[in-house]
Amino acid sequence: MIHTDQQPEPYESQNEGAPDIQSHRDSTPDAAFAALLEDSAEELYEAAPCGYLSTLMDGTIAKINATLLDWLGLERDAVLGRMRFADLLTVGGKLYHETHFAPLLRMQGDISGIAMELRCANGDRMPVLVSSVVKYGESGEPLLIRTTLFDARDRRAYEEELLRGRKAAEEARRQAEADRARLQDALTVLQKSLLPDTLPTIPGVETAAHYHIASPDRLGGDFYDVFPLDGERFAFFLGDVCGKGPQAAAVTSLTRYTLRAAALHDADPASALATLNTVLHDRYTGSGDPRYCTAIFGILTPGASPGRLTIQLASGGHPPAVVLRADGTAAFLPTPGGLLVGVLPDAHFATAETVLTPGDTLLLYTDGLTEARTGADRTSLYGDEALLAFAADHAGKSTVDVIGALTDLLASFGDGLDDDTALLALGVPPLTAQP
Amino acid sequence: MLKITARDAATGPVLEVSGDLDYRNATHLRERATATVLRPGQRLILDLSGLEFCDSSGISALIAAHHHATTLGANIALAAVPAPTLRILRLIGLDTIIPLHPDSDPTALA
Repeated sequence: MIHTDQQPEPYESQNEGAPDIQSHRDSTPDAAFAALLEDSAEELYEAAPCGYLSTLMDGTIAKINATLLDWLGLERDAVLGRMRFADLLTVGGKLYHETHFAPLLRMQGDISGIAMELRCANGDRMPVLVSSVVKYGESGEPLLIRTTLFDARDRRAYEEELLRGRKAAEEARRQAEADRARLQDALTVLQKSLLPDTLPTIPGVETAAHYHIASPDRLGGDFYDVFPLDGERFAFFLGDVCGKGPQAAAVTSLTRYTLRAAALHDADPASALATLNTVLHDRYTGSGDPRYCTAIFGILTPGASPGRLTIQLASGGHPPAVVLRADGTAAFLPTPGGLLVGVLPDAHFATAETVLTPGDTLLLYTDGLTEARTGADRTSLYGDEALLAFAADHAGKSTVDVIGALTDLLASFGDGLDDDTALLALGVPPLTAQP
Repeated sequence: MLKITARDAATGPVLEVSGDLDYRNATHLRERATATVLRPGQRLILDLSGLEFCDSSGISALIAAHHHATTLGANIALAAVPAPTLRILRLIGLDTIIPLHPDSDPTALA
C-alpha cells in the first residue's frame, strides 16, 4: 500500500477518462496508511495474531496479551503473578519445558519454533509453536523471558492429515501384499494341479521329473504326467501349451485331463493325441483365441523278460525324445511331421517305438531347454546338438542322476532360460544298481 | 518391433512381415491377415524375409492366417522363411499344411 503512493499506477496516465476510479484508488491507501499509524503499540501487542508472554526468570508470568488469554480462556488477573509459563502447558509440555526448553533457553539465550501444547481452561489442547528470548540487563544478567506463541492448529491438522495419509497408504500396501500372497497361493495350487504330486512307482522302471518355473507370477504352459493304464502298462505324456498365463493354464488343465481320459479309453498313442486334437480344435476354433499344444504321448510295456521295456509313442509337433543308452551313446527318437495339436480337425501324428534295456533312459523335454539362450551375450540357442552331446555324457546313469544333471544345466543358463521347462525321464535301472 | 507392409502380386495379396513376431505383437499380424480380402483361388503370401524372431504366439498368428485363407476358398504360402523359424515350422509339422517357398519374389511363386 505504501508502494502505490510512491510509485504511480502504471495505467494512471491512460485512464484519464475515468477520474472517479482514479480518485478512489488514490484515497484508499491513504486511509489505510493513516489507520495503521493510529494503531498503538499497546493495541498491536494485545490484539496481535500471536500470543505474547513475558515472565520472570523463574517463569512467573508478568505480562500476557489478550490473544493468548483468549486462546487459554483465562482472565488476566488469574494469570499475572499467579501462574508460571509451564502452568499453561499440558503435562507432556510441562515435562519437555523443564527438561529441554528452559535449560536450552538459559544456555543459549533464545530458542525458537518448539512445538508444544497449551492446556486451555475448557480442557482443550491447543498446539502452538513457541519461541523465547532472554532479555539481559546492562551488566549482562538475565532479567526476563519474552515468549511468542503461534497458533499451530492448522499446521497440526496438516500433519495429522499427512500421518493419516501415510497410515492409509501403509494399510493399502499391507492389503496389496496380502492380496498378492493370496493370489500367489492360488497360483501355486493351480500350478500344482497341472502336474502330478509324485510319479507312480513302476516295477522295474525308474522315473524322474523336473519342472522349471520361469516366473512365479505366471502360470506355466508345460505339463507332464505318468499313470497306470492297466495291471501291466503305464502311460506318460509331456507337452507345452502355446502361450502363457491363465488362458494357457486352462488349456494345460484341459489337455492333461483329456489325455488321461483318452488313454483309458484307447491307449494307442496316436489315438490319444487325436482325441486331444479333437477336443482342443472343437473347444478353441471359432473362439477367436485358438489354442494349440505340442505333446508326446507314450505307453510303457514291460517285456516278457525282465529288464526289457517297450516304448511306443506319438508326437504332435513336439521336439523329439532322446534315448540315452547304457553304452554311453545318445540319439533322438525322431517323430517328424507330427502336427501341432489342435490346428486341424484331422491331424496326422508321428509315431515311434523303441526298447529300453538296463541302463537305458528315455528323456522328454520341452523347448525351454533347447531354446535357452547361451553365450556371453545370450544370443545363441542351446540347441539340439548340445543337448545330444550332454545326453551322451550322462548316458548310462540313473534317471535321477540324468534329471539332476539337467536341472543343474538349466540353473547354469541363468537369465538365458526365460521359458518354463519340463523334463521327464523314464529308464530301466542299470544292472549294477539291481539288488 | 513388427512391421507389416501390404502389396499386391498377380497371385493375390502379399504381406511383408519384418521384425519380431512375439506375444507382444503377434495379434497385429493375426488381425491384419484375417482382415485381408481374398477371392476363392487367390493366394495370400506372407513374405517373412525380414522376420527376425518368431515365438509360439507368432506361430499361432500364422495358423490364424492359414485358417482365414482356407475358409475363404483361397490358400496361403510362406515365402523366404528364415532358418530358425523354418526349423520350428518343420518341428510342429506346419510345413505339411502350409506351402513354403524359398523366394520372396511373388512372380516366382505364381
